[in-house]
Amino acid sequence: MKCPQIEERLSEYLERTLPASEMEEVAAHVHGCGNCSALLEEMRSALLKCRSFPVYEPDIALIDRVLLRTTGKPRTRSFRELLDQYFLRTLLTPRFAMGAVVTVLFLTLSASLLLPRAASIATALSPREVFRTMDRGVQAIYSRGLKIYDKKNEWQAQLSFFKNNMFNRLGIMIEQLDVPQEGKKKSGEPRQQQEKNPGDKTSSLLLLPT
Amino acid sequence: MLSSDEKLVERCLQGDDAAWEQIVRSYAKRIYNLSYRYTNRRDEAEDLSQDILIRVYQNLGSFRPDMGSFQSWILKVGRNLIIDHYRQTRRYQQVAGTEELEKMSITDTASQSPERSIERSEEARFLRDGLDALSPELKEAIILRDIEGMAYLEISELLGIPEGTVKSRINRGRLELAKLLAKRRGLPGWQA
Repeated sequence: MKCPQIEERLSEYLERTLPASEMEEVAAHVHGCGNCSALLEEMRSALLKCRSFPVYEPDIALIDRVLLRTTGKPRTRSFRELLDQYFLRTLLTPRFAMGAVVTVLFLTLSASLLLPRAASIATALSPREVFRTMDRGVQAIYSRGLKIYDKKNEWQAQLSFFKNNMFNRLGIMIEQLDVPQEGKKKSGEPRQQQEKNPGDKTSSLLLLPT
Repeated sequence: MLSSDEKLVERCLQGDDAAWEQIVRSYAKRIYNLSYRYTNRRDEAEDLSQDILIRVYQNLGSFRPDMGSFQSWILKVGRNLIIDHYRQTRRYQQVAGTEELEKMSITDTASQSPERSIERSEEARFLRDGLDALSPELKEAIILRDIEGMAYLEISELLGIPEGTVKSRINRGRLELAKLLAKRRGLPGWQA
Protein backbone atom coordinates (compact mmCIF):
# COMPACT_ATOMS: atom_id res chain seq x y z
CA MET A 1 0.00 0.00 0.00
CA LYS A 2 1.09 3.56 -0.71
CA CYS A 3 0.83 6.63 1.54
CA PRO A 4 -2.72 7.78 0.47
CA GLN A 5 -4.10 4.28 1.11
CA ILE A 6 -2.34 4.15 4.48
CA GLU A 7 -3.80 7.54 5.43
CA GLU A 8 -7.30 6.18 4.79
CA ARG A 9 -6.68 3.47 7.35
CA LEU A 10 -4.77 5.43 10.01
CA SER A 11 -7.87 6.21 12.06
CA GLU A 12 -8.95 2.59 12.28
CA TYR A 13 -5.33 1.58 12.87
CA LEU A 14 -5.29 3.89 15.90
CA GLU A 15 -8.52 2.36 17.20
CA ARG A 16 -7.26 -1.15 16.38
CA THR A 17 -10.39 -2.00 14.41
CA LEU A 18 -8.62 -3.03 11.20
CA PRO A 19 -8.34 -6.70 10.24
CA ALA A 20 -5.10 -8.29 11.53
CA SER A 21 -3.47 -8.47 8.09
CA GLU A 22 -4.11 -4.79 7.39
CA MET A 23 -2.89 -3.86 10.87
CA GLU A 24 0.46 -5.52 10.11
CA GLU A 25 0.68 -3.92 6.69
CA VAL A 26 0.01 -0.41 8.05
CA ALA A 27 2.48 -0.98 10.91
CA ALA A 28 5.18 -2.02 8.46
CA HIS A 29 4.56 0.99 6.23
CA VAL A 30 4.49 3.47 9.12
CA HIS A 31 7.72 1.99 10.43
CA GLY A 32 9.46 2.70 7.15
CA CYS A 33 7.78 6.00 6.15
CA GLY A 34 8.75 9.12 8.09
CA ASN A 35 5.84 11.18 6.78
CA CYS A 36 3.16 8.63 7.71
CA SER A 37 4.87 7.94 11.03
CA ALA A 38 4.81 11.68 11.93
CA LEU A 39 1.21 11.95 10.75
CA LEU A 40 0.20 8.99 12.90
CA GLU A 41 1.86 10.54 15.96
CA GLU A 42 0.14 13.84 15.29
CA MET A 43 -3.22 12.09 14.95
CA ARG A 44 -2.65 10.22 18.20
CA SER A 45 -1.75 13.44 19.96
CA ALA A 46 -4.83 15.25 18.57
CA LEU A 47 -7.05 12.33 19.58
CA LEU A 48 -5.70 12.41 23.16
CA LYS A 49 -6.27 16.17 23.33
CA CYS A 50 -9.84 15.72 22.10
CA ARG A 51 -10.52 13.05 24.68
CA SER A 52 -9.19 15.22 27.48
CA PHE A 53 -11.22 18.21 26.37
CA PRO A 54 -12.73 19.79 29.52
CA VAL A 55 -16.32 18.98 30.42
CA TYR A 56 -18.17 21.99 31.81
CA GLU A 57 -20.96 22.22 34.36
CA PRO A 58 -23.81 24.42 33.15
CA ASP A 59 -24.99 27.23 35.38
CA ILE A 60 -27.73 25.99 37.70
CA ALA A 61 -29.77 29.03 36.62
CA LEU A 62 -30.09 27.36 33.21
CA ILE A 63 -32.24 24.61 34.74
CA ASP A 64 -34.31 27.23 36.55
CA ARG A 65 -34.88 29.21 33.37
CA VAL A 66 -35.90 26.13 31.40
CA LEU A 67 -38.32 24.95 34.08
CA LEU A 68 -39.87 28.39 34.49
CA ARG A 69 -40.37 28.68 30.75
CA THR A 70 -41.86 25.19 30.39
CA THR A 71 -43.76 24.16 33.53
CA GLY A 72 -43.78 27.62 35.10
CA LYS A 73 -42.37 26.24 38.34
CA PRO A 74 -38.87 26.68 39.76
CA ARG A 75 -36.69 23.66 40.36
CA THR A 76 -37.02 21.77 43.63
CA ARG A 77 -34.08 22.51 45.87
CA SER A 78 -32.42 19.89 47.99
CA PHE A 79 -31.60 20.50 51.64
CA ARG A 80 -27.96 20.92 50.64
CA GLU A 81 -28.84 23.55 48.05
CA LEU A 82 -30.98 25.46 50.54
CA LEU A 83 -28.17 25.24 53.07
CA ASP A 84 -25.75 26.54 50.46
CA GLN A 85 -28.05 29.33 49.37
CA TYR A 86 -29.08 30.70 52.73
CA PHE A 87 -26.22 29.73 55.02
CA LEU A 88 -22.97 28.56 53.47
CA ARG A 89 -22.90 31.13 50.66
CA THR A 90 -23.31 33.89 53.24
CA LEU A 91 -20.72 32.32 55.49
CA LEU A 92 -18.19 32.02 52.73
CA THR A 93 -18.22 35.67 51.71
CA PRO A 94 -14.89 37.41 52.44
CA ARG A 95 -16.57 40.11 54.51
CA PHE A 96 -18.33 37.61 56.74
CA ALA A 97 -15.21 35.48 57.07
CA MET A 98 -13.20 38.56 58.13
CA GLY A 99 -15.86 39.50 60.66
CA ALA A 100 -15.94 35.97 62.03
CA VAL A 101 -12.15 35.91 62.42
CA VAL A 102 -12.15 39.26 64.24
CA THR A 103 -14.98 38.10 66.53
CA VAL A 104 -13.21 34.86 67.37
CA LEU A 105 -10.00 36.76 68.13
CA PHE A 106 -11.87 39.22 70.32
CA LEU A 107 -13.64 36.45 72.23
CA THR A 108 -10.40 34.51 72.70
CA LEU A 109 -8.57 37.56 74.04
CA SER A 110 -11.47 38.49 76.31
CA ALA A 111 -11.68 34.96 77.67
CA SER A 112 -7.92 34.77 78.29
CA LEU A 113 -8.09 38.06 80.21
CA LEU A 114 -11.29 37.44 82.16
CA LEU A 115 -11.22 33.74 82.94
CA PRO A 116 -8.48 33.83 85.64
CA ARG A 117 -10.48 36.51 87.44
CA ALA A 118 -13.80 34.85 86.85
CA ALA A 119 -13.37 32.45 89.80
CA SER A 120 -12.56 35.24 92.22
CA ILE A 121 -15.45 37.32 90.82
CA ALA A 122 -17.82 34.39 91.32
CA THR A 123 -16.61 33.91 94.94
CA ALA A 124 -16.95 37.60 95.65
CA LEU A 125 -20.55 37.53 94.44
CA SER A 126 -21.65 34.66 96.73
CA PRO A 127 -24.24 35.74 99.42
CA ARG A 128 -21.95 34.83 102.30
CA GLU A 129 -19.10 36.94 100.90
CA VAL A 130 -21.47 39.80 100.10
CA PHE A 131 -22.77 39.72 103.71
CA ARG A 132 -19.23 39.62 105.06
CA THR A 133 -18.19 42.56 102.87
CA MET A 134 -21.23 44.53 103.97
CA ASP A 135 -20.50 43.70 107.60
CA ARG A 136 -16.91 44.82 107.17
CA GLY A 137 -18.09 48.02 105.53
CA VAL A 138 -20.54 48.80 108.36
CA GLN A 139 -17.84 48.08 110.96
CA ALA A 140 -15.42 50.37 109.17
CA ILE A 141 -18.02 53.15 109.01
CA TYR A 142 -18.84 52.67 112.73
CA SER A 143 -15.18 52.76 113.80
CA ARG A 144 -14.61 55.81 111.67
CA GLY A 145 -17.66 57.45 113.31
CA LEU A 146 -16.23 56.63 116.72
CA LYS A 147 -12.90 58.13 115.79
CA ILE A 148 -14.61 61.28 114.55
CA TYR A 149 -16.62 61.44 117.79
CA ASP A 150 -13.42 61.09 119.88
CA LYS A 151 -11.75 63.73 117.81
CA LYS A 152 -14.71 66.03 118.30
CA ASN A 153 -14.54 65.52 122.09
CA GLU A 154 -10.83 66.14 122.04
CA TRP A 155 -11.29 69.36 120.06
CA GLN A 156 -14.12 70.39 122.40
CA ALA A 157 -11.92 69.85 125.49
CA GLN A 158 -9.07 71.78 123.95
CA LEU A 159 -11.42 74.59 123.01
CA SER A 160 -12.90 74.83 126.52
CA PHE A 161 -9.37 74.73 128.04
CA PHE A 162 -8.27 77.47 125.66
CA LYS A 163 -11.38 79.46 126.41
CA ASN A 164 -10.92 79.21 130.20
CA ASN A 165 -7.27 79.93 129.93
CA MET A 166 -8.01 83.00 127.88
CA PHE A 167 -10.60 84.20 130.42
CA ASN A 168 -8.15 83.72 133.27
CA ARG A 169 -5.48 85.62 131.50
CA LEU A 170 -7.94 88.32 130.66
CA GLY A 171 -9.05 88.44 134.32
CA ILE A 172 -5.48 88.81 135.49
CA MET A 173 -4.81 91.46 132.91
CA ILE A 174 -7.97 93.38 133.94
CA GLU A 175 -6.98 93.01 137.56
CA GLN A 176 -3.61 94.48 136.81
CA LEU A 177 -5.19 97.27 134.83
CA ASP A 178 -7.52 98.10 137.79
CA VAL A 179 -4.56 99.00 140.08
CA PRO A 180 -4.53 102.87 140.56
CA GLN A 181 -1.41 104.70 139.63
CA GLU A 182 -1.58 107.06 142.57
CA GLY A 183 -0.66 104.38 145.07
CA LYS A 184 -1.59 101.32 146.98
CA LYS A 185 -4.04 103.15 149.19
CA LYS A 186 -6.40 104.06 146.49
CA SER A 187 -6.07 100.79 144.94
CA GLY A 188 -6.86 99.15 148.21
CA GLU A 189 -10.06 101.03 148.73
CA PRO A 190 -12.12 99.41 146.14
CA ARG A 191 -10.82 96.12 147.43
CA GLN A 192 -12.20 96.88 150.79
CA GLN A 193 -15.40 98.07 149.26
CA GLN A 194 -15.60 94.92 147.30
CA GLU A 195 -15.19 92.88 150.42
CA LYS A 196 -17.92 94.85 152.02
CA ASN A 197 -20.24 94.38 149.13
CA PRO A 198 -21.34 90.74 149.14
CA GLY A 199 -23.10 91.14 145.74
CA ASP A 200 -19.78 91.64 144.00
CA LYS A 201 -18.45 88.30 145.05
CA THR A 202 -19.82 86.64 141.98
CA SER A 203 -17.77 88.81 139.65
CA SER A 204 -14.54 88.00 141.44
CA LEU A 205 -15.41 84.34 141.54
CA LEU A 206 -15.76 84.27 137.82
CA LEU A 207 -12.13 85.19 137.47
CA LEU A 208 -10.97 82.22 139.44
CA PRO A 209 -9.58 79.36 137.46
CA THR A 210 -11.91 76.35 137.17
CA MET B 1 -40.30 -2.92 28.37
CA LEU B 2 -39.87 0.83 28.67
CA SER B 3 -36.54 2.34 29.73
CA SER B 4 -36.36 4.77 32.61
CA ASP B 5 -36.18 7.70 30.18
CA GLU B 6 -39.24 6.51 28.34
CA LYS B 7 -41.15 6.14 31.61
CA LEU B 8 -40.16 9.67 32.51
CA VAL B 9 -41.43 10.90 29.14
CA GLU B 10 -44.74 9.11 29.71
CA ARG B 11 -45.11 10.66 33.15
CA CYS B 12 -44.18 13.99 31.69
CA LEU B 13 -46.87 13.72 29.02
CA GLN B 14 -49.39 12.97 31.78
CA GLY B 15 -48.50 16.32 33.34
CA ASP B 16 -45.94 15.26 35.93
CA ASP B 17 -43.67 18.28 36.34
CA ALA B 18 -41.24 16.41 38.58
CA ALA B 19 -40.55 13.95 35.73
CA TRP B 20 -39.73 16.82 33.38
CA GLU B 21 -37.42 18.34 35.97
CA GLN B 22 -35.62 15.00 36.19
CA ILE B 23 -35.16 14.93 32.41
CA VAL B 24 -33.81 18.48 32.41
CA ARG B 25 -31.38 17.68 35.21
CA SER B 26 -30.20 14.53 33.40
CA TYR B 27 -29.58 16.12 30.01
CA ALA B 28 -28.72 19.76 30.72
CA LYS B 29 -25.00 19.06 31.13
CA ARG B 30 -24.76 16.91 28.00
CA ILE B 31 -26.62 19.41 25.87
CA TYR B 32 -24.71 22.34 27.29
CA ASN B 33 -21.36 20.73 26.54
CA LEU B 34 -22.46 19.73 23.05
CA SER B 35 -23.58 23.31 22.38
CA TYR B 36 -20.34 24.63 23.80
CA ARG B 37 -18.24 22.44 21.47
CA TYR B 38 -19.96 24.01 18.50
CA THR B 39 -20.15 27.63 19.65
CA ASN B 40 -17.04 27.99 21.84
CA ARG B 41 -18.92 30.63 23.79
CA ARG B 42 -20.44 30.16 27.19
CA ASP B 43 -23.33 32.60 26.81
CA GLU B 44 -24.29 31.26 23.39
CA ALA B 45 -24.07 27.70 24.65
CA GLU B 46 -26.41 28.53 27.54
CA ASP B 47 -28.96 30.20 25.28
CA LEU B 48 -28.75 27.35 22.84
CA SER B 49 -29.16 24.74 25.58
CA GLN B 50 -32.19 26.58 26.89
CA ASP B 51 -33.76 26.67 23.43
CA ILE B 52 -33.04 22.99 22.88
CA LEU B 53 -34.61 21.92 26.18
CA ILE B 54 -37.68 24.07 25.56
CA ARG B 55 -38.01 22.58 22.06
CA VAL B 56 -37.73 19.10 23.57
CA TYR B 57 -40.54 19.90 26.02
CA GLN B 58 -42.75 21.23 23.26
CA ASN B 59 -42.15 18.17 21.07
CA LEU B 60 -42.22 15.42 23.69
CA GLY B 61 -45.42 14.08 22.17
CA SER B 62 -43.63 13.32 18.90
CA PHE B 63 -41.09 11.02 20.53
CA ARG B 64 -41.58 7.38 19.45
CA PRO B 65 -39.72 4.78 21.54
CA ASP B 66 -39.76 2.30 18.64
CA MET B 67 -37.77 4.75 16.49
CA GLY B 68 -34.77 4.90 18.79
CA SER B 69 -33.70 5.80 22.30
CA PHE B 70 -34.76 9.00 24.00
CA GLN B 71 -31.12 10.08 24.18
CA SER B 72 -30.74 9.82 20.38
CA TRP B 73 -33.97 11.73 19.93
CA ILE B 74 -33.02 14.54 22.29
CA LEU B 75 -29.58 14.82 20.64
CA LYS B 76 -31.23 14.98 17.21
CA VAL B 77 -33.43 17.86 18.37
CA GLY B 78 -30.35 19.52 19.81
CA ARG B 79 -28.29 19.02 16.68
CA ASN B 80 -31.00 20.50 14.45
CA LEU B 81 -31.10 23.64 16.57
CA ILE B 82 -27.31 23.81 16.71
CA ILE B 83 -27.15 23.63 12.92
CA ASP B 84 -29.77 26.40 12.65
CA HIS B 85 -27.74 28.47 15.05
CA TYR B 86 -24.56 27.75 13.11
CA ARG B 87 -26.16 28.96 9.90
CA GLN B 88 -27.34 32.16 11.59
CA THR B 89 -23.91 32.74 13.13
CA ARG B 90 -22.21 32.15 9.79
CA ARG B 91 -24.50 34.70 8.17
CA TYR B 92 -23.66 37.11 10.96
CA GLN B 93 -19.98 36.36 10.52
CA GLN B 94 -20.22 37.23 6.83
CA VAL B 95 -21.94 40.50 7.66
CA ALA B 96 -19.89 41.53 10.66
CA GLY B 97 -16.51 40.30 9.54
CA THR B 98 -13.89 38.31 11.36
CA GLU B 99 -12.32 41.19 13.25
CA GLU B 100 -15.53 42.05 15.06
CA LEU B 101 -16.03 38.44 15.99
CA GLU B 102 -12.49 38.28 17.29
CA LYS B 103 -13.12 41.36 19.42
CA MET B 104 -16.27 39.73 20.77
CA SER B 105 -14.33 36.62 21.55
CA ILE B 106 -11.65 38.61 23.38
CA THR B 107 -14.31 40.38 25.44
CA ASP B 108 -15.84 37.06 26.26
CA THR B 109 -12.59 35.43 27.32
CA ALA B 110 -11.73 38.43 29.49
CA SER B 111 -14.23 37.30 32.11
CA GLN B 112 -12.32 35.72 34.95
CA SER B 113 -14.41 32.60 35.56
CA PRO B 114 -12.54 29.38 36.36
CA GLU B 115 -13.98 27.77 33.26
CA ARG B 116 -12.53 30.51 31.10
CA SER B 117 -9.13 30.32 32.70
CA ILE B 118 -8.96 26.59 31.96
CA GLU B 119 -10.24 27.15 28.49
CA ARG B 120 -7.63 29.75 27.78
CA SER B 121 -4.89 27.27 28.34
CA GLU B 122 -2.82 26.97 25.20
CA GLU B 123 -3.64 23.33 24.53
CA ALA B 124 -7.40 23.79 24.52
CA ARG B 125 -7.21 26.93 22.41
CA PHE B 126 -4.88 25.32 19.94
CA LEU B 127 -7.20 22.38 19.50
CA ARG B 128 -10.28 24.58 19.31
CA ASP B 129 -8.71 26.70 16.59
CA GLY B 130 -7.83 23.55 14.68
CA LEU B 131 -11.40 22.26 14.97
CA ASP B 132 -12.81 25.59 13.82
CA ALA B 133 -10.67 25.39 10.68
CA LEU B 134 -12.31 22.09 9.67
CA SER B 135 -15.39 21.89 7.48
CA PRO B 136 -18.67 21.67 9.51
CA GLU B 137 -19.22 17.98 8.63
CA LEU B 138 -15.73 16.93 9.68
CA LYS B 139 -15.81 19.10 12.81
CA GLU B 140 -19.15 17.58 13.79
CA ALA B 141 -17.85 14.05 13.31
CA ILE B 142 -14.78 14.76 15.46
CA ILE B 143 -16.85 16.42 18.18
CA LEU B 144 -19.31 13.56 18.38
CA ARG B 145 -16.74 10.79 18.21
CA ASP B 146 -13.59 12.07 19.89
CA ILE B 147 -14.90 14.69 22.31
CA GLU B 148 -18.38 13.39 23.15
CA GLY B 149 -17.24 9.76 22.89
CA MET B 150 -20.26 8.51 20.96
CA ALA B 151 -20.27 5.15 19.15
CA TYR B 152 -20.25 5.00 15.33
CA LEU B 153 -23.77 3.60 15.30
CA GLU B 154 -25.08 6.40 17.53
CA ILE B 155 -23.47 9.00 15.30
CA SER B 156 -24.88 7.28 12.25
CA GLU B 157 -28.40 7.39 13.76
CA LEU B 158 -28.00 10.95 14.89
CA LEU B 159 -26.73 12.28 11.60
CA GLY B 160 -28.89 9.99 9.49
CA ILE B 161 -25.96 8.76 7.37
CA PRO B 162 -24.44 5.28 6.89
CA GLU B 163 -21.88 4.07 9.40
CA GLY B 164 -19.23 3.83 6.65
CA THR B 165 -19.66 7.52 5.88
CA VAL B 166 -19.30 8.31 9.55
CA LYS B 167 -16.02 6.38 9.70
CA SER B 168 -14.77 8.07 6.56
CA ARG B 169 -15.63 11.54 7.92
CA ILE B 170 -13.94 10.80 11.22
CA ASN B 171 -10.78 9.59 9.48
CA ARG B 172 -10.68 12.62 7.19
CA GLY B 173 -11.38 14.92 10.09
CA ARG B 174 -8.58 13.44 12.19
CA LEU B 175 -6.13 13.60 9.28
CA GLU B 176 -6.92 17.22 8.52
CA LEU B 177 -6.82 18.18 12.18
CA ALA B 178 -3.45 16.48 12.63
CA LYS B 179 -2.02 18.20 9.56
CA LEU B 180 -3.40 21.58 10.64
CA LEU B 181 -2.01 21.28 14.14
CA ALA B 182 1.39 20.19 12.82
CA LYS B 183 1.43 23.04 10.31
CA ARG B 184 0.51 25.61 12.97
CA ARG B 185 3.26 24.34 15.19
CA GLY B 186 5.66 24.78 12.27
CA LEU B 187 6.59 21.15 11.77
CA PRO B 188 8.23 20.70 8.34
CA GLY B 189 7.37 18.28 5.59
CA TRP B 190 3.55 18.38 5.64
CA GLN B 191 1.50 18.06 2.50
CA ALA B 192 -1.63 19.68 4.00
